[in-house]
Amino acid sequence: MSQPPLPTPVLEPQEPPRGLGTFRAGERLQGLFFIAPALVVLGIFLVYPAYYTVRLAFYQGDFLYRFSNFLGLDNFKELLTDDPSFLDLSSFPPSGALVNNFRWVIFYIALSLAFGLGLAVLAVRVRYERVVKSIIFVPMAISATAVGLIWLFVYSPDLDNGILNAVIHGVDHGFDPIAWVGRPSTVNYALIFAYVWASTGFVMVVLSAAIKGIPTEIIEASRVDGAGEWAIFRRIMVPMLSLPIAVVTVWLFINVIKVFDIIYVMTGGGPGTSSRVIAYTMYKETFENGRGGYGAAVAVLMLLLVLPVMVLNVRRFRSERVTT
Amino acid sequence: MKRRSWLVLLAVAVGLGLISTVLAGASYGRTAVPQTKKAGTINVLSLWGGSEKSAFLKVTDAFTAKTGIKIEYETARDFIPAIRTRLAAGNPPDVAIVPRPGYLASLAREGAFKDLRPLGFTPAYMKARYTSGWTSLGTVGGKLYGLAVKANSKSVIWYKPDSFAKYKFKVPKTWAQLIALTKAYKAKGLTPWGLGCGPGPSSWTLTDWFENIYARTAGPAKYDRLFAGKLKFTDASVLNALKLMTSILNNKYIAGGGVQGALGRTFVSGIGQVFGPNAKAQLYMEGGFVGGIALDQVNTKLKPGKTIAFFPWPTITPKYDSPLVGGGDLAAAFKDNADIRSFLKYLSTPAAGAIWVSTGAVISPNKQTKSSAYPNLLVRAEAKQVASAKIFRFDGSDLMPGALGDTWGAALQNVIQKPGNAKKIMSDFQKEADKAY
Repeated sequence: MSQPPLPTPVLEPQEPPRGLGTFRAGERLQGLFFIAPALVVLGIFLVYPAYYTVRLAFYQGDFLYRFSNFLGLDNFKELLTDDPSFLDLSSFPPSGALVNNFRWVIFYIALSLAFGLGLAVLAVRVRYERVVKSIIFVPMAISATAVGLIWLFVYSPDLDNGILNAVIHGVDHGFDPIAWVGRPSTVNYALIFAYVWASTGFVMVVLSAAIKGIPTEIIEASRVDGAGEWAIFRRIMVPMLSLPIAVVTVWLFINVIKVFDIIYVMTGGGPGTSSRVIAYTMYKETFENGRGGYGAAVAVLMLLLVLPVMVLNVRRFRSERVTT
Repeated sequence: MKRRSWLVLLAVAVGLGLISTVLAGASYGRTAVPQTKKAGTINVLSLWGGSEKSAFLKVTDAFTAKTGIKIEYETARDFIPAIRTRLAAGNPPDVAIVPRPGYLASLAREGAFKDLRPLGFTPAYMKARYTSGWTSLGTVGGKLYGLAVKANSKSVIWYKPDSFAKYKFKVPKTWAQLIALTKAYKAKGLTPWGLGCGPGPSSWTLTDWFENIYARTAGPAKYDRLFAGKLKFTDASVLNALKLMTSILNNKYIAGGGVQGALGRTFVSGIGQVFGPNAKAQLYMEGGFVGGIALDQVNTKLKPGKTIAFFPWPTITPKYDSPLVGGGDLAAAFKDNADIRSFLKYLSTPAAGAIWVSTGAVISPNKQTKSSAYPNLLVRAEAKQVASAKIFRFDGSDLMPGALGDTWGAALQNVIQKPGNAKKIMSDFQKEADKAY
């Protein structure tokens, strides 16, 4: 099934990269013009808004989101010490949007990877691999709004339309229906699971492509050496997939730090404020409460959380060959 | 060499082309506002969808037929962020219809709206058409910004007359009788109350519960002070009202998973608990608009007066009688021109009111609208209740500034989960309120 491995191309010794200074003026101008379109677009739609947001975070801001009433670091101080819906360390376990997002990071990434990898490994072995993979990939093609509505039905406490409760009730008749999204203790996990359902397909497709890239000789050789299926998975497949797994993890991480849509559709951050996350807090403060500066401070915090992972990822892209 | 100069030239051309496109785009953006405001079209934004939207479109169709002015109607369920972003982008709608006088006042103070008095809505004009309560809701700092176009009673409790007849129950007139009715249903092995108040967007059903109880236990004067930010939410009167509220809204009396179930259910599914084809509960508390939704969306087999009807909220403290808590939507103008003026004028005519109410979805705050225009006895009864109310109070959570009403709903969700924590929850909420008022 998999092709014989391509011979690794021997890198020709290249001339050392030239610094900018070694280009002639004409060449430099020419280069500038070629990247100008991209620069202009990025400048207008990325750099300027980012600058605006970072600057706004130090102001109170008014209803037109202008820079008014400089506050310094007050927004950040309030956010981290005096906003129980964002971070509440006064009780155990700590709660708030930041803590919820932390939950999302752990459970969403772990579950998506586990299901994605598991399905990728298993899908290769079934006869109708393509059909199976397409079905699992379908949720990825459904918009988050629809995903949210579907799962609201699944989680409904009324047995008429709440499939999950109906199934449990079918098995155990004494079971009292649980409002999965109505309880602060379950709402976050219910949301996370719905989102995992929507992302597993993507993880599976990427990892399954990577599995196809593993030379069959290696697998066959290890079988000859007496390795069991589990050992092959643990000792050969997983290490060889470490790079694609890392790339997918970064993708999932960025996805989860900015998660918003499914929460907006399913719970609106409720009940109370128990299912808010960072991005939802930003939306709520900026566009509903009209506190532009405060919302911008939340956005800056979000950026700071994503930045290290982005830097790591870009570095990796620069240094390594990505085999996905 | 020649080839290179060609390339440079090409790069320059591409670069200039792109820059000019961007500039053209920018200047288009600046002139876009007057262009879309071309004579004859008014852009109206509101949160109405479903039956309310189709009712409103009937009203606007009649207006277009009469004047030739087109109405571009836009639904924004989340009207607060929609209006905020469009305002910040310099592209607000011509007219917005919002259900929250508190939010309207916030925007009016920021200078977003046009004063309607110079546009022909003089005090005498208003007085002939609306009671002073409705006019004052749209008045901020002595200027008129909002025109009431829709009203609803929120002081009603829905029940099943056939079930009352079967068990020989009577319509409760006092809180004690309401509790007795609740217990009587429970004793028959039925769960009395349906409730849908979650997870996020339906929390307003709880604020309506609270307002009805509060107006009846603390009185209209305290009600006004509380929702104007002059009385703390930690006040004993608030805690007392919450206690009464949770004496009904608890796991014992709410059908379908108790409090947690209600928090996982929307307002409309709550109606389904009581009036749906597979109903499990007996009573539902929400405004007059429940009737339209129940008949149109939940169960078309319902018979008004036989299988669905409402009774007015019972009194609690006798001296405060039975104040009517109501809601309504106000139209406000972001811009001013002849078309917009004639549209707003039209909305305040009895002709528009008659079309509006004939759909059975809403009632009109305009006192010139005739009661014969109402299509069924449920809305007619509601209109009568609103018109004859001795004491009228607007929905308090909608009077709260900005989006504080949502925060208030979230706080009440916490209260019904942990009634014992009410005091702490109220003091946390007061901190939020201090920032907003």
